[in-house]
Amino acid sequence: MIDIRNLSKSFGQVQAVRDVTFSAPDGAVTGLLGANGAGKTTTLRMLSGLMKPDAGSLTVDGIDVCAQPLAAQARMGMLPDARGIYPRLTPREHIHYFGQLHGLAGAQLVASTAALIEKLGLQEIADRRSEGFSQGERTKVALARALVHSPRNVILDEPTNGLDIMSTRATRELIRRLRGEGCCVVFSSHIMQEVSALCDRIVVIAHGAVVAAGTPDELREKTGCDSLEDVFVKLAGLEDDAEEIP
Amino acid sequence: MTFSWQRTLVVFRKELMDGFRDRRSLYSVLFSSLVSPLIMALLFTTMAERQRSADELRLPVAGQAYAPAFVDWLSQQSGITIIDAPANPEEAVRKGEQDVVLLIDKNFAAKFSRSLPAPVKLVGDVTRDTARPKVQRVRSLVNTYSSQIGSLRLMARGVSPAVASAIRLEDLEVSSAQQRAARILSFLPFLLVMAAFVGCLQIASDSTAGERERGSLEPLLLNPVPRSALIAGKWLAAACSGALSIVVSVLLCIVVLSRIPLHELGGRFHLGASSYGLLVVIVLPLVFCSSALVIFVAMLARSYKEAQTYLGLLITLPLLPGILAPLYPMTGKPWLAVFPIVGQYALMEDVLGGNPPAAIWYAVAALSLLGSAILLLALTTRQLRREAIIFGRG
Repeated sequence: MIDIRNLSKSFGQVQAVRDVTFSAPDGAVTGLLGANGAGKTTTLRMLSGLMKPDAGSLTVDGIDVCAQPLAAQARMGMLPDARGIYPRLTPREHIHYFGQLHGLAGAQLVASTAALIEKLGLQEIADRRSEGFSQGERTKVALARALVHSPRNVILDEPTNGLDIMSTRATRELIRRLRGEGCCVVFSSHIMQEVSALCDRIVVIAHGAVVAAGTPDELREKTGCDSLEDVFVKLAGLEDDAEEIP
Repeated sequence: MTFSWQRTLVVFRKELMDGFRDRRSLYSVLFSSLVSPLIMALLFTTMAERQRSADELRLPVAGQAYAPAFVDWLSQQSGITIIDAPANPEEAVRKGEQDVVLLIDKNFAAKFSRSLPAPVKLVGDVTRDTARPKVQRVRSLVNTYSSQIGSLRLMARGVSPAVASAIRLEDLEVSSAQQRAARILSFLPFLLVMAAFVGCLQIASDSTAGERERGSLEPLLLNPVPRSALIAGKWLAAACSGALSIVVSVLLCIVVLSRIPLHELGGRFHLGASSYGLLVVIVLPLVFCSSALVIFVAMLARSYKEAQTYLGLLITLPLLPGILAPLYPMTGKPWLAVFPIVGQYALMEDVLGGNPPAAIWYAVAALSLLGSAILLLALTTRQLRREAIIFGRG
């Protein structure tokens, strides 16, 4: 359960996030939809505890992220915008390392690692050094290490960015499975199909502010548009922008 | 501030494994531990070689037929072998084919028999260090022969040879091979301090600037681990590789110095096992400080390359006291131990000079290094909270 209230953040003159409020319940997938630069990544960075908000509060399972960042981080699994991996470590070693940093050890760590390798289809490359991995393989490693401690709250920043069709499918499958396990899943995307295929709830962000939130049906109703793409374009105010996305 | 030893160890083990899979860190450890013994070996063997070459001299003599007795006498001197002179002696010396050539004038016999100074030329090149001991040896041989014959002539005329010598000068040479050897040994502190820095360079910069460049810093910080523990783990790994460099370096120095025929240099200097032990005791704590300093600087760099630029400048810093040491002698000032790096030079100079300082100063030096390391690590931990560091990538 993630709860974000009145969140604001500025970088100099630019207000990247203004008064953002939304919550993401357990057992559901919440999509953060917005054009590039709308403020999705900044919001998630504040949620991760690595960036201090100028105003507002963030709680994860009732824990205040700003007051107790480590306790909040322990309850989250996050795939951030940066998904750098260590070229001289194997995927298994990556997962182990992050598991140990979460305090896992022994049989529990081994079992959790093995389960993730299988879930993400990493068996063939599990013990190969990561140097020269494809974008998809790197994302899978980053995803696996983020989930090693079986977090109840999973936050994914543009998880399918740069992935091929099969990897995208696998990722969607994983997201559905996490929801089935009762996790609170939040993911950000600028791709309509993705959001409509996966999300129970959608939060549309434009120019740093929430412009609409609700189930896909609620949003269609509210805007009077049939396709979610039209909903998105209308809500995000993209039609007013000079640079339209073709 | 929270801290966790357990997580520190997790980071430490990972960085060490990652580091030693990296060829560049192996090279930096290898390079820094080989450079001291190799330089020592090179300097000492060259010196021994030169000394030996003066003792055992193949001396080219032109015009041997003009002074058979003189040549005969020369060849009877220990280590001297007379050989034929090259066709153009001056050219041969100028080109470095010969270090010294003796030219006997064709009027030698005529002048010698009339008790006039017989002309002999010594061809040498004063700018060549390698030739100098040989030229000196030949000159002193010729002078010896000259005064022996002179004395005999005086006696034949009923005059005591002592009359001809107003002054008897005896050479008491103190700046011998021994001192030159001591000068070579004075490189040792310099080289060991460098090993402390170069040995930790790769792991320290790869685990900081490299982490930022790869974009793996943000994911790492998402783990519920105190930043102080992350930094401490990286620091320990870097310090370990620095310590490895120093230990290997000193061990190889011991091997090298024991293989070099130091007795040929005529010196009685030798470093005992205890002196080596003291050097290690002095330099080893330096890795606390050197790795903390490198980590602090490299964390400010967005990329590995940028870090290299900063570190290239940084590495000159610890070498400064070593360079300035001849101008501002630091011997006999163990209280300098309170200053990191400078203190290490001061203590090592005293050990090499044969006056090891009191035990308390080693402890003072180590504590001062540890203190400055902790300060630097605290500063780095604070850096790790800055958003520009976490999200700013190269």
